[in-house]
Amino acid sequence: MSLSRRDFIGVSALGLSALTLAPYAFARKPLSFEKLMEFKPHGNLTLVFTSDIHGHLKPLYFAEPMNLLAPEPLRGTPGYLTGMDFLKYYNIKPGSVEAYTGSCVSFIKLAKLYGKTGGAPQMATIIRAIIEERGKDKCIVLDGGDTWVTSGIAVKTDGMAIVDWLNYVGYEYIVAHWDVTVGKEKFLDIVKNKLKAKFISYNITEEPFGELVFPPYDVIEKNGVKVGIIGSSFPFTPIANPRKFTEGWSFGVRPEELQKYVKELREKHKVDLVILLSHDGLPLDIALMKQVKGIDIVISGHTHDVTPTPVRVGDTLIVSPGSHGKFVGRMDLEVRNGKLQSYRFKLIPVLSEVVPEDKGAKKLVEKWYKPYEKEFNEVIGTTHTLLYKRDTVFSTWDRLIGEALEDYYHGVDAVMSLDVGTSPGFRWGTTLLPGQKIKVEDVYDVLGLTYPEVYIMKRKGKDLLALWEDVADNVFNPNPLYQQGGDMSRIYGVEYELKINAKQGERIRNVRIKGKPLEPEKEYVVAVYGGPPPMGVEPEKKNIREIVVDYIRKKKEIHIDVKKALNVKVLDHPYNIDCYWR
Amino acid sequence: MDRRRFLTLSAVAMVGLTALPALKPAFGASKLEEEVQKRLGVALSQVKESPEVKLTAPTIAESGANVPITVESDIPIDKVEQLWIFVDKNPSPWITDVKLTPMNGRVFFSTRIKMGETSNVRAILKLKDGSFVMATKEVKVTAGGCG
Repeated sequence: MSLSRRDFIGVSALGLSALTLAPYAFARKPLSFEKLMEFKPHGNLTLVFTSDIHGHLKPLYFAEPMNLLAPEPLRGTPGYLTGMDFLKYYNIKPGSVEAYTGSCVSFIKLAKLYGKTGGAPQMATIIRAIIEERGKDKCIVLDGGDTWVTSGIAVKTDGMAIVDWLNYVGYEYIVAHWDVTVGKEKFLDIVKNKLKAKFISYNITEEPFGELVFPPYDVIEKNGVKVGIIGSSFPFTPIANPRKFTEGWSFGVRPEELQKYVKELREKHKVDLVILLSHDGLPLDIALMKQVKGIDIVISGHTHDVTPTPVRVGDTLIVSPGSHGKFVGRMDLEVRNGKLQSYRFKLIPVLSEVVPEDKGAKKLVEKWYKPYEKEFNEVIGTTHTLLYKRDTVFSTWDRLIGEALEDYYHGVDAVMSLDVGTSPGFRWGTTLLPGQKIKVEDVYDVLGLTYPEVYIMKRKGKDLLALWEDVADNVFNPNPLYQQGGDMSRIYGVEYELKINAKQGERIRNVRIKGKPLEPEKEYVVAVYGGPPPMGVEPEKKNIREIVVDYIRKKKEIHIDVKKALNVKVLDHPYNIDCYWR
Repeated sequence: MDRRRFLTLSAVAMVGLTALPALKPAFGASKLEEEVQKRLGVALSQVKESPEVKLTAPTIAESGANVPITVESDIPIDKVEQLWIFVDKNPSPWITDVKLTPMNGRVFFSTRIKMGETSNVRAILKLKDGSFVMATKEVKVTAGGCG
């Protein structure tokens, strides 16, 4: 009974947003803030949320991927939808704001039409407007992690600029992934002393006896509704990032424990609603909700997916609010008799030129930026290519980084030069439009690591292949519980064929290094950064940001032809290379 | 030289031919199957997977050198005799075996194991009636990480 009612309102909310879409599909700007915010209030509780802001306090362009290569069982499901498939699945008109913010289709044209997205003052305006409309006692403000890291301003201020903003806006709950890379001590100082939001995680425990490091959940009463919120930090942080940041802590996906906490909230605390605030990634959360029962809503971060309507698994609704400050999620809920009865949901697109800036947040951003403006604003070149990061196997930013590494290591003698340069498949990083000037801050925003060291070393062909196969399995394992939610390493100087549905160890084929077939026993000169530091290798004098900044400065004009530069041939999945340019 | 070489070669071939039929089962069995046969006294194929045994292990190990696993079961302790743990692809698949008595209260065993590579982990219980029940879980051991 309650199910079908929930269904009905869910569907009608979707219908509504589809209707409001139509008028400004293909329209030229004058889009009003009111139009973006349009939302018919519903029920007695409102969730306001963001995720994966990745340290971006200022507006930016961020292109959704052209490709999200899926293993066969997951093809066509949320988490793997791109381009026209994404638009069709969610019934979105090409050319609309929703198409611009949620897909790659005609990105370059639409970016010029709609402008940048995100920005801390803009997000603050939206969040505060919702709170004002609904009343503070009806709202819960949450963030899904990857928040105070991986941008220029994040690196310079150890995350504090963003923490300051979170406190200003009034966030109440948060979880983590990259956030730990400010360093374990600093991270603990932030979550215990600096941050007003509560840090919750059921899946961070002390080694070896398994005591919880943080509260696994919190219970809060809002407008007479008792809500239990469980936190889940990125389960594979100790493997994806250098171990020192999480030394002594264990993470992981723990369905039994999660189920235990749901039960505890329902039976002991008698909550009316259970929310999972997660940095698991959308495919993993979808798989996990098939095992764990009793969670009403999952706010799912990590994989940067955009879900214009919730993904339903049984009675659980899963939403993913994109990344880089592009959206603020709003979900109005009707909770009665200890049950979620119905909901209305919208991802509010943060169009930076349309949403007015919150004065206090703007001041705060200016204050934190002031000491770094000069360094950040230095123009080092111009790009004539769309510089993007997101894609499963290739990106123009990574190609540029590979070129820079090769140029940096020009060889100590005539015989030796760099054979391979690998760039990790992070899902974060700013996008630059063709014709845009490249500033120092842009390089920070694509390489905003707290461990930017570059290592050059020799590795045998067979060991390189084994490593790449390993990464490929983390990306293409058909069971999302065994995926890490990142993209494939970008391997500069190497061409290969990829069969994503092959068995582990057999996906990467016909590898050619500098045009010649990979020789298993031959030693290759390899440059790496952004992973666990290799043992016994000293880092280079220059870090990856310095290497890339110097290279752009030297080259000045950046041209990359995607068709020519693409070094991966995908054998068993379509691979798009023109979505942005359509 | 040639003649001698021919002779040794044919000798090898002979041995190969005569030995093959008799030895085939041994060649065909994996190290795991051999170990299970040796320690349990039954073939692995006769051990059935059962939801009665619960094996908790990470999907992706944080370190192959130190993988936490827990075996539990609600089967009454007085009906259970022994527990074995195997890792299919370890050079030596047998990890441990534990004799259980009613003094244990219930079937619960938690430990840390070493794993050389991605593999299935198996927990097998022998019941007092002579039957076996098993839980299996794949644990991935990975070096490559990307956020």
